[in-house]
Amino acid sequence: MLRRNEIYKIDYVLIAAVMAVIVIGILMIYSAGFDPIDRTNSGLYKRQIVWFIIGFILMLMMTFVRYKSLGDYCLYIYFFVLLLVIFTTFFGTPIRNTRAWLNFGYFSIQPSEFMKLAVVIVLAKYLELRERDIRHLRELLVPTAVTAAPVLFVLMQPDFGTAMVFIPVLFAMLFIGGADVSHLVAVISIATIALIFPMALTYREWVADQDASIIVSFFQDYNLLFSVAGFLLLVSITTYILHFFLIKKIFRKIYIPSIVVSFGLFFSVVIMRFLKDYQKKRILVFLNPDLDPHGSGYNVIQSKIAIGSGGFFGKGFLNGSQAQLGFLPEKSSDFIFPVIAEEWGFAGAVILLGLLCLIVLRGAQIALEAKDKFGALLAAGISSIFFFHILINVGMVLGIMPVTGLPLSFVSYGGSNLLVGMISVGILINIRMNKFVY
Amino acid sequence: MSQTSLRNRMLEAFRRRMFFLIGLIAAVFMILLIQTVNLQLIQGETYKQRARMNMENYIPISASRGEMYDRNFKIGGGNVVIVSNRPSFNITTIPASFKSKEEMAAVIRPLCGLLKISYDEVMSDIRSRNPWERVVIREDIGFDTIVVIASNQHRFPNIDWEDAPVRVYNYSNMFSHTVGYIGAISPAEYKRLRDSGYRHYQKIGKSGLEGEYDSLLRGTDGHYRRVVDVRNRIEGEEVGLQAVAGDNVVLSIDFEVQKAAWEAMKDLKGSCIVVKPHTGEVIALVSRPDFDPNMVISKNNAKIIEELNTDKNKPFLNRAIQSKYPPASTFKIVTSIAALEEDKWNPNLTFHCPGKYTLKGFIDKDFFCYDAHGTLDMYWAIAKSCSVYFYQLGYKIGPTIILKYADYFGLADKTGIDLPGETQGFLPTKKWKLKTFGQQWFDGDTVNLSIGQGFVSVTPIEMANLVSAIVNGGIIMRPHLVNEVLSPDNKKVLKKTEPRKLREIPLSPMTLDTLRQGMRLAVKSGTAARLSYLKVPIAGKTGTAQTRSKRKDDYSQHAWFVGYAPFDGPVENAVAVVVMIEYGVAGAVSAVPIAERVFAKMISLGYF
Repeated sequence: MLRRNEIYKIDYVLIAAVMAVIVIGILMIYSAGFDPIDRTNSGLYKRQIVWFIIGFILMLMMTFVRYKSLGDYCLYIYFFVLLLVIFTTFFGTPIRNTRAWLNFGYFSIQPSEFMKLAVVIVLAKYLELRERDIRHLRELLVPTAVTAAPVLFVLMQPDFGTAMVFIPVLFAMLFIGGADVSHLVAVISIATIALIFPMALTYREWVADQDASIIVSFFQDYNLLFSVAGFLLLVSITTYILHFFLIKKIFRKIYIPSIVVSFGLFFSVVIMRFLKDYQKKRILVFLNPDLDPHGSGYNVIQSKIAIGSGGFFGKGFLNGSQAQLGFLPEKSSDFIFPVIAEEWGFAGAVILLGLLCLIVLRGAQIALEAKDKFGALLAAGISSIFFFHILINVGMVLGIMPVTGLPLSFVSYGGSNLLVGMISVGILINIRMNKFVY
Repeated sequence: MSQTSLRNRMLEAFRRRMFFLIGLIAAVFMILLIQTVNLQLIQGETYKQRARMNMENYIPISASRGEMYDRNFKIGGGNVVIVSNRPSFNITTIPASFKSKEEMAAVIRPLCGLLKISYDEVMSDIRSRNPWERVVIREDIGFDTIVVIASNQHRFPNIDWEDAPVRVYNYSNMFSHTVGYIGAISPAEYKRLRDSGYRHYQKIGKSGLEGEYDSLLRGTDGHYRRVVDVRNRIEGEEVGLQAVAGDNVVLSIDFEVQKAAWEAMKDLKGSCIVVKPHTGEVIALVSRPDFDPNMVISKNNAKIIEELNTDKNKPFLNRAIQSKYPPASTFKIVTSIAALEEDKWNPNLTFHCPGKYTLKGFIDKDFFCYDAHGTLDMYWAIAKSCSVYFYQLGYKIGPTIILKYADYFGLADKTGIDLPGETQGFLPTKKWKLKTFGQQWFDGDTVNLSIGQGFVSVTPIEMANLVSAIVNGGIIMRPHLVNEVLSPDNKKVLKKTEPRKLREIPLSPMTLDTLRQGMRLAVKSGTAARLSYLKVPIAGKTGTAQTRSKRKDDYSQHAWFVGYAPFDGPVENAVAVVVMIEYGVAGAVSAVPIAERVFAKMISLGYF
C-alpha cells in the first residue's frame, strides 16, 4: 500500500497534463453536442464526465497496485481480454456495421481498446524474460503471434483503425526490447515495397496520366514480377548456402537485401491481385480528397476547412460554423481536434498538441528512469499507444494520414478509450513512483 | 563482472533506442505542428472562405435581360417590343452539399417525379459538372410548383429555386437572324469569359444581336445570402447583392418594313436588306428560311436545335451576311464604274449586240446574251442588262481595273455590321488562279468577270454597300442595327450609335450620274420595269446568276435585285434595297416583286 511519504512521489506534472487534456475534451464534446438552432445539447459530455470520474478512480487504484504484479498476471489479463474481444467479434452489438462494442444497457464497452494495454503488458513481460536472446529472429515469433491474434479478430469486427494501431506499437516495443534492427528494417522494407507499387499504379490509373513508362509497365506485368521475385529468391538461397559454408560477410550483403526485395515484390503482386476496386479508390481519395467530395473525402475536406478557418484565435466557443452547423462529421469522437482548432484557433490547437506531446514524452522519460526492464518496457509501450493514436488521429484530421477512424486519446468521446487511457496513466505514475524505491 | 558489463551494455543500448524514439516523437509532433500552421495561418483565409461557402448559400438573382425595340421607340409607350422577358423560376442544387450519393438520389428522384423530368438525364448532367458549383435541375418552372417544393422543404433539402426570367421573342421567326437567341453558356465560352464575370449557370447570347450586344443586355446578377446548416435549415436570409438589369436597345430596324419584307419572302430562300446609305442604319434585314428563337431556347430544345442544324435548308444561316453568291449582272455596276473612272470611257459610246460575243483566240469561243439588243450605249446597256456590251467593255479594260474597283467597294471585305459571324465575298486574281487551278488567267475569265460570273462571289450586305456608295456619292457608312442603348428604365440614352464612315471612293459626278441614270432607266423601261408605277422614282439593277448547282429540283439560278429610292431625292431620305433569292427564276421575276412590296410599304409609311 501507499505509504504517507510516497504521496510526494506522485507525478503531478503528468496528472495535470492529462487532466487538462480531458477537461478540454469534455468542453469540446459539449460544443460538438450543441445544436445552435434548437439551443439544445445532445448530453454526451455528461456521460464523458461520468467516464472521467470512473477513470479517475481506476487511475488512483492503479497507482496503489504493485505494477510488477501486472507482469505476474499478464497471461490471465491477456487471455481474459482476448476472450472478450473474440466474444465481441461474434456477439457484440453492431453499430454502423462494426461489432466492436459490448452493450450493457446504459453503457457499452469496447474490449479492443483494453486489448492494446493487455498486449503491451504481455510484450513487456516477454521481452523482459527474453532480454538476452531477443536478437535472434525466432524470438520474434511469440510477440508477433501475441499481437496477430487480437489484430485478426479486430479486423473481423471489422475495425481497421484499431487493428492497425497494434502493429506500430509492436514494432516500437520490439525495438526498445532489443530486437535486431536489421530484422525490423527488413520487415518494414518488405511491407513498404509491397504497398508502394500498387498505390502508385492505382494513382496513375485514376488520375489518368497514361504516359507509357518502362518502370510502370514492368510493374503491371504480374508474370514478370513473379519471375524477378523468384530469381531474387534463388539468388538469396544460393548466397545463404555459400555463406553457411564459407562464412564471408559479403554474402550477407547479398542475400538479405535480395530476399527483402523478393518478398516485397511477391506481396505487391498479391495485393494488386486482391485489392478490390473500392479499396483502390480509397487509397486515391486519401491522396486527393477532392476526387470524392461525398465519401471519405468529404470528411477530410470538411475537417481541413474547420481547422483552417479557425485562424489564429478561432471563432470562439460554440461559434464554429463547421462544428455547429453540422458540416464536420463525427465531431465528438474522431473529428474532435477540428472542433478545438476551429473554435479556439491556432492557440487552442497548439496548447492541445503541446499537452499531448508532454504526456507522450513524460511517458518516455518514465521509461528511461524505470528501475527495471519490465517497468521500462511497459512505460514505453503505453507511451507508444498514446503516440500512435495521436499521430494517426491528428494526422488524419490534418489531411496528412489516411482516414482510418481512430479516437484521439483522452480527448475524443468514448468511455473505453478514456478508461484505458487513465488506467495507463495510473500505471505510468506507479512506475515512476517506484524508481525512488532504491 | 561480465554479467554486469553485459547489463550495462544492454542498458546503454536501451537508452540509445529510447532516445531515438524520443527524437521520432519530437519530429512527428513537429510535422503535425507545421501542418497546423499551414492550414490555420498560411491557408487560413482560403479555408475561411470555404467555411463561409459552406454555410452561406448564395442563391443567384438573375438580372433582367435588356429588351429590344424597333426604330420608332418613344418614351411613354406604344412601342414595338421585339424581345422581352416573362417571370419564371429555376430549380437548382449544389451536388456537393449532399453528404452521400444515396442521400442525393433520395432527394433528386422524387423531385424529378414532381418536375416530370428524367432522373437519369439529371444525374448524368450533375455528374459531368463540378460538384461544388450550382446546377440547374430544371428551368422555367411555374410558381405553383415552387409552392409545392417550398411547403415540403424537409423532403427536398439542398434544393433551391431562383428567379429566372425567360426570354420572349414576341415576333418569333420574323427577327430570328437579326435578334438571334440566347442559350446556356458552353464550357468553352465559360473558360474564355470566366474572367469577365460570366458564371457557369448563366445564359449567353448565342447569335445575332443577342450575341453581339450580350455584355450590354445581360446586366449583372445579384444574389440572396442564406445562412444554412448542413441539413439546409435556413438560419437567415438577406439580399446580398441587388441584380442590375441589362440595358435596353433601340434597333434601327423598322418593324413595319421588316414585316413587309419578311412576309414577301414567305416560302422563298434568300435574303433582303434595306439600308439608309446616309447613316448606315439597317431598316430591315430578313433571311429565309428562318426559325423560331422561342423554340430554340425552350425547355427541351436539344431535339429542336438538332433538327434545325441538320435541316438541308440551313435555317440557322443568316443569308444576308453569311452566304456568298456570284453577283451576276449586278456586278455590271462595278465594270461600268471601272471603265468610266479609269478608261476615259464615255457613257454615250456604243457597242453592238448581235445576241452573242465571239472571243477570238486559238479556238474561238462564243459568249451569249439573252437577247439581240442591237447597238446601245451604257445607259441602255445597264437598263437592258446587255451582257455583250459588258463582255466587250470588260475585255477592253481588262481584269485588273475591274478587280481594283470591286476591292474599293469592299466586295472582298467584311462590312463590320454589328452581327456576329459575318463572312466576306471573294475576288479572284491571276495569282490566285495560278495557285488554285495551275492555269493562266484567260481572256474568257475576264469576259466572265465583267458580268459578275465565274469565280467572283459577294455577300448581299456587301452589295447593299455598293448601292449605298452610288447613292451617297462614293461614301459607304458602316451598316449597323442598333441605334441607341437605353438605361434599364428607358429614361436615359446611354449611347447613341454615331454613323461611321467605312470607305470613301472618289467617284466623279459623271460616273455617279451615269450609273444612276442607267439604273433609273432599268426601272422605267428595262429589266425592273415592274417598279415603274410606284409614286416615288426608283432606280435599280437586276441580276441572274448561273450557279454550278447539280440539283435538279431547284432552279440553277440565283436572282438579285439591287436598287434605291428616291432616284433623285435628297441623300438623307434615300434607302437602298438588296434582294437575293436563291434558286429563283431570273432576277426580274423572283427578286423584283420583293423589292416592290418593300418600296410600296416604305412609300405608304412616308419614308420619301
